[in-house]
Amino acid sequence: MTGRPRRVAITGLGLVTPVGNDVAATWRALLAGRSGVAPITHFDASGFPVRIAGEVKGFDPRHAIEDRKLLKFADRSHALALVAAEEALRDAGIRPEGSDATRWACVVGSGKATLGFGQLGEVHRRCAPDGHFHPDRLLADGFMMDPRAFYRSQTCIGLALLLHRFGIRGYASAVHTACASGSQAVGTAMKLIRRGTADYALAGGFDSMINPIGLASFCLLGALSPDNETPERASRPFDATRNGFVLGEGAGLLVLEAWDAARRRGARIYAELAGDGNSLSSYRITDSHPSGDGPIQAMRQALAAAGVLPEEVDYVNAHGTSTLMNDRSECAAVRAVFGSHAGQIGVSSTKSLMGHLIAGAGAVEAAVCALAIHRGVLPVNANLVAPDSECDLDFVRGQPRVRRIRVAISNSFGFGGSNSCLALRNPDEVEA
Amino acid sequence: MSARVVVAGSGAICAAGKSPGEIWDAVWTGRPAIRPIRQWDASGWPTSLAGEIAGLDPRDLVEDRKVHRLLQRSDLLGLYAAGRALDDSGFVAYREALEPTAAAAVNDRTGVYVGLGGGGFQNEYEFFPLLTTANGDLGAFGRELAATVNPMWLLRSMPNNVLCHVGIRYGLKGPNACVTNHSVSGSLAVAEAAAALRAGEADRALAVGHDAPIEPQMVLYYHQLGLLSADGLWPFDARRSGSLLGEGAAALVLETETAAAARHVRVFGEFLGSGCTTEAEGLLAIRADGDGLAGAIALALDDAGIRPAEVGMVVAHGSGTRRSDASEAAAIRRVFGATAPPVTAFKWAFGHPLAAAGILDSVLALVALRHGVVPGVATLRELDPDLGNLPVSARPQAPRSDVALVLNRGFGGSNTALVLRAAASEAS
Repeated sequence: MTGRPRRVAITGLGLVTPVGNDVAATWRALLAGRSGVAPITHFDASGFPVRIAGEVKGFDPRHAIEDRKLLKFADRSHALALVAAEEALRDAGIRPEGSDATRWACVVGSGKATLGFGQLGEVHRRCAPDGHFHPDRLLADGFMMDPRAFYRSQTCIGLALLLHRFGIRGYASAVHTACASGSQAVGTAMKLIRRGTADYALAGGFDSMINPIGLASFCLLGALSPDNETPERASRPFDATRNGFVLGEGAGLLVLEAWDAARRRGARIYAELAGDGNSLSSYRITDSHPSGDGPIQAMRQALAAAGVLPEEVDYVNAHGTSTLMNDRSECAAVRAVFGSHAGQIGVSSTKSLMGHLIAGAGAVEAAVCALAIHRGVLPVNANLVAPDSECDLDFVRGQPRVRRIRVAISNSFGFGGSNSCLALRNPDEVEA
Repeated sequence: MSARVVVAGSGAICAAGKSPGEIWDAVWTGRPAIRPIRQWDASGWPTSLAGEIAGLDPRDLVEDRKVHRLLQRSDLLGLYAAGRALDDSGFVAYREALEPTAAAAVNDRTGVYVGLGGGGFQNEYEFFPLLTTANGDLGAFGRELAATVNPMWLLRSMPNNVLCHVGIRYGLKGPNACVTNHSVSGSLAVAEAAAALRAGEADRALAVGHDAPIEPQMVLYYHQLGLLSADGLWPFDARRSGSLLGEGAAALVLETETAAAARHVRVFGEFLGSGCTTEAEGLLAIRADGDGLAGAIALALDDAGIRPAEVGMVVAHGSGTRRSDASEAAAIRRVFGATAPPVTAFKWAFGHPLAAAGILDSVLALVALRHGVVPGVATLRELDPDLGNLPVSARPQAPRSDVALVLNRGFGGSNTALVLRAAASEAS
C-alpha cells in the first residue's frame, strides 16, 4: 500500500444523447451549437402544456446489441445505456474477461422506477376503469400481468442488464439522487478504484422520462419551459429570459481504470478523474439556497479531493438547468468558491443544447468535460443572448472556445438538495 | 491509517416491533409477526401472508404532518428509523450544545447514506382518475392533467426522499448517497458510509435502509416469478417453499472512533469491513455453488482483516427460497469448511423487507452479540439435509466471538457481506 490513493483514468466514453447517437456525433453537435430539442414524437403530446423535449433520434438498439432477448427486458433508458456502454468499452479497448471480471465495478445512476405507461394503462383498464383501484381484479381470469413490465419497472434492472451483458462480477450499485444521479455514480466508481475495491469500472447514468407520466410530472410542477414554438431556443441557461428547463433523455457511460495500469497498457487517457464532492443543501425540497450553500461545499470537496487549487480550474460545466433559481444559486456558488478567479473560468451548460437528461445528465456532462480537456475546446452555452445580471460569469457564448484546460469541474444538483461535483484533470498535468 | 468506524446509535421498525428492543424480543422469544395481509383483502390470493406493520399511523412515525403528503409509506418508515437512530446516538443534544459556527461545521461533516428498493406502484395509481377521464385520448390526458393530479405528485415519488427529508429535518449537509439496488441497498449504504468515514470525508454518517413492497401488484409479480411461499417463510427448512414480503426500516449512526470519543458517546459496536460482488448470470439467476456470495464474504473478511475462524456468528440472508438458501449454505461451506460458526437468519420473524434487510439484520446482530446469544430460527422444524451440516438451529446457540457476518442478496445476482464487532457490554 502506498500512502496516496490511486489515481483514476478515464479511458473510454460512450454517449447516446438528444444531439447525437454516439460520442463523435454528440461532440460535433456541441461544437456546432446544434440543438437536440424539438417537438415530442414519442407520443401524442398535443394536449400537454409543454410539447417539446430533447429526444434521442433514430435510435435502434439492435444495431449495437444483438441479444434480442436481453432487449425485451430493457425499457428505453436501459437500451440507451446498453448501447452507450458498448461504445465506451469499445472505445477503451478493454472488457471484463476471465478472472479480471471480479475486479470490474459497475455503478450507474438510473431513473426512478416506473411501471411504464402501457402497463399502467392495462392495469387501469382491468382494475380501475372507474378511476378507483380494485385489487381483486388483478386476479381476474385471462389477465396475466407481463412479467417483463415488472423487470423494467425495477430501479436495479438497468444495472442488472449491464452486468449480465458485459460479465461484470465485482462491486455493483445503482444510485438515485434525482438530477445528480449520474454524477454521483461516476464519483462513487472513482472512489471504488481509489480505495482498491476495483481496478476498472463501468460508470454512468441513463434516463428517459419523455413519456406521458414523466412529462406530466414536470408539467405539474411548472418546471418546464413552455416555449413550444421555438424548441431549439427553449433551453437558455443564464439568459435573462429563461423560463424553465427542457426535458431530455439519454445515456452516458465512462470506463474508469487505475491510472498506472492504464498507462502500462498504453491506453488513451482522456482525463484523470481526480475528485468528487457530495453535499446536501438541506434547505427546501425544490428550492436552491440563493447563496449557493450546498453546491459550495460540493465544489470545495471535489477540489480538495482532487488536490487542486481553485486557480487551476479553467472550465466549469454548469448544472445550468435554465431555471431562474438554479442558475442564480449556481452562479453565487461559483463566485463563492472561486472568488476573483471566477472571471478566468469558461462556463457553459450542456443542457442548453440537450435539455436535462435527469439521472443521465451528470454522467453525460462528465464525459463532455473529458472531451473538452482531451480536445482543448470549451463547448458553447447556446441561446445565451442577454445574461441575467445576477449570472455574472464568463460564459462560452457564440463560438466554442479553444483553450487548454488544466482542470474542469462538472456540477450536478438534484431535486431535494443532493449536490455532486466531479473534478477532472488534464492528463498532461499529472506528474510524469 | 484509515479511521476506525464505530456504531453510536440504531433505530428500527418492522412487523415485529417499532424499536430494536421490541424486534429483538420477538426474535428471541420465537414470535413471528407474519400474518394475513390487511392493507387490502388478500384472502383467496395465491399469497396472502406478509410481514406487515400493523396499525401503521403516519402521525406516530413522523410528527410534521406537512410532510406526510410529500412522502410514501416506505419514506415514512425510513424517516422514523433515521430519527430514532439519531436520538439514540445523542447527536442532536450534542450539536445543540455547540456554538453556531461549530454546529455548522458538524453539519457539513455529517453524511447521510440511504438504501431503498425503489419499487412501488401505488403512487402511479394516482393517475387512474385522469386515465378514466381521458378515456384513451392522450390529448385529453394532457389537457385535464392539472385539474386532476396533485401538482406535487413527482416529489412524492422521488427515490431520494428520505435522504432529503432527513437532511432538511436534522440540518445534515455532508457527503451522501442514495442506493437503489434492490435488497442489497441497505448494506451498500453502510459500506459507502463507512468508506466515507475511513477516507476522512466525514466524521459521522447516518445509514438508513427502508422499503415497503407489500402492494397488490408487487405481491402478484413476486408470486409470478416463483419467489413467494403460499404458506410460510421457513429458511433452511426441508419444507421451505419461498419467501414472504416484509416491510420496514432500520438505521445506524456510524462515527469515526475519534469523533465518537470526542463527544463521549456510548459505542455499541464497530464496523470492520464489507464486500460486494455480482454473479452476472441474469436478472434472477443464482449460481448454485454460491460463488458470488462466497466471494463477497472473502472480500469482507479481508477488508476487516480477520480470518474466518474469528467470525462468531453468521446472520444469513435466509430468504426461504429453495435456490437462494441452498446456494447460501454452499457459500458458507466454501468459506468456513466444516467449522462454520453458528448461523441464524431473521426473515422468518418479519418477512423479507428487501432494501431494509441489510441494516435491520445488522442492528439485530449487534443486539444478539451484546446479549451473547445467537437466536434460533424459531420456525425451523427439519434442516434440509441437502444443505450439509449447516450450523443453524431452532434453539439459541452461543456465538464463537464478538464478530458477526451479515449477508444480503438481491436481484441481478448481487451479494453483500458486512462484518461487525459488538462493543464489550457494560456488564462485562
